Amino acid sequence: MNIDTLIIAVAGLFAVTSSVGVLLTKDNFYAALYMSVTMLFVAAIYAVFNIQPVVVIIALIFVGAVGIVTVAIAATYRAGISRKVSIFWVVPVIVVFAILALAYTNLAVESIEIANPEVFSAVATDYFFVIAFLFALVVLMMLSAIKLARRVDL
Amino acid sequence: MIGPDVSNLAVILITSGAILLVAYLTAISAKDVIRLLISLELMFAAVFLAIIPLFSINPPMAYAVAIVTAFTSSTELLVLVTAIILLDRRKRGIGVDKVAVGGDSL
Repeated sequence: MNIDTLIIAVAGLFAVTSSVGVLLTKDNFYAALYMSVTMLFVAAIYAVFNIQPVVVIIALIFVGAVGIVTVAIAATYRAGISRKVSIFWVVPVIVVFAILALAYTNLAVESIEIANPEVFSAVATDYFFVIAFLFALVVLMMLSAIKLARRVDL
Repeated sequence: MIGPDVSNLAVILITSGAILLVAYLTAISAKDVIRLLISLELMFAAVFLAIIPLFSINPPMAYAVAIVTAFTSSTELLVLVTAIILLDRRKRGIGVDKVAVGGDSL
């Protein structure tokens, strides 16, 4: 394990730890905060590979927009205990994780080498219609959501 | 060389799998829709990690998949926020037990 892999492993360990915090905390507000921290550690792993555009996407959209809206909603509806972990589900999850970890350790032996990180500028031209349709999808979803929300009487 | 001989690909995939499983566990143990929303965001974080190997094979496609994931996550947040508002208005609460239709029992 070289130093880069060690940094990725440490960031991944922190990400998994904060995601376990989402599971264990009883308050939605702290769960949303732990979720934002998890995303920041995911962005840190991207930063180790020097994939800076995705770091910006995660930091701005995932943490900056989605995370903050989630934190605001969770802070609004934070009363009461909002989770109940069943021991009958924890055991199969641990078994599945052990199988996954064993398989990945034995089979995924090649290291990732990022080929050309400067191709981000080509995405806007190569995948122009994908991005245009995604914008249209978000606008349609937003209009549908507003229509649904206005239809329900207070 | 430090520690056991594990590739960075294995470390990333194991981390992604662990976050995904914790997100599943959070989803099935959620008692309100806010916690469901948070668990879905965690699943998207796991997906973002799983994309990293694609950057060594086809970087433009990997960037496109990352952008699609970000858009999908934003749209999913929009839909779920609307669902939370509607559920609160109609049922006077956001607990998952307020929804009587669908689901499964063991």
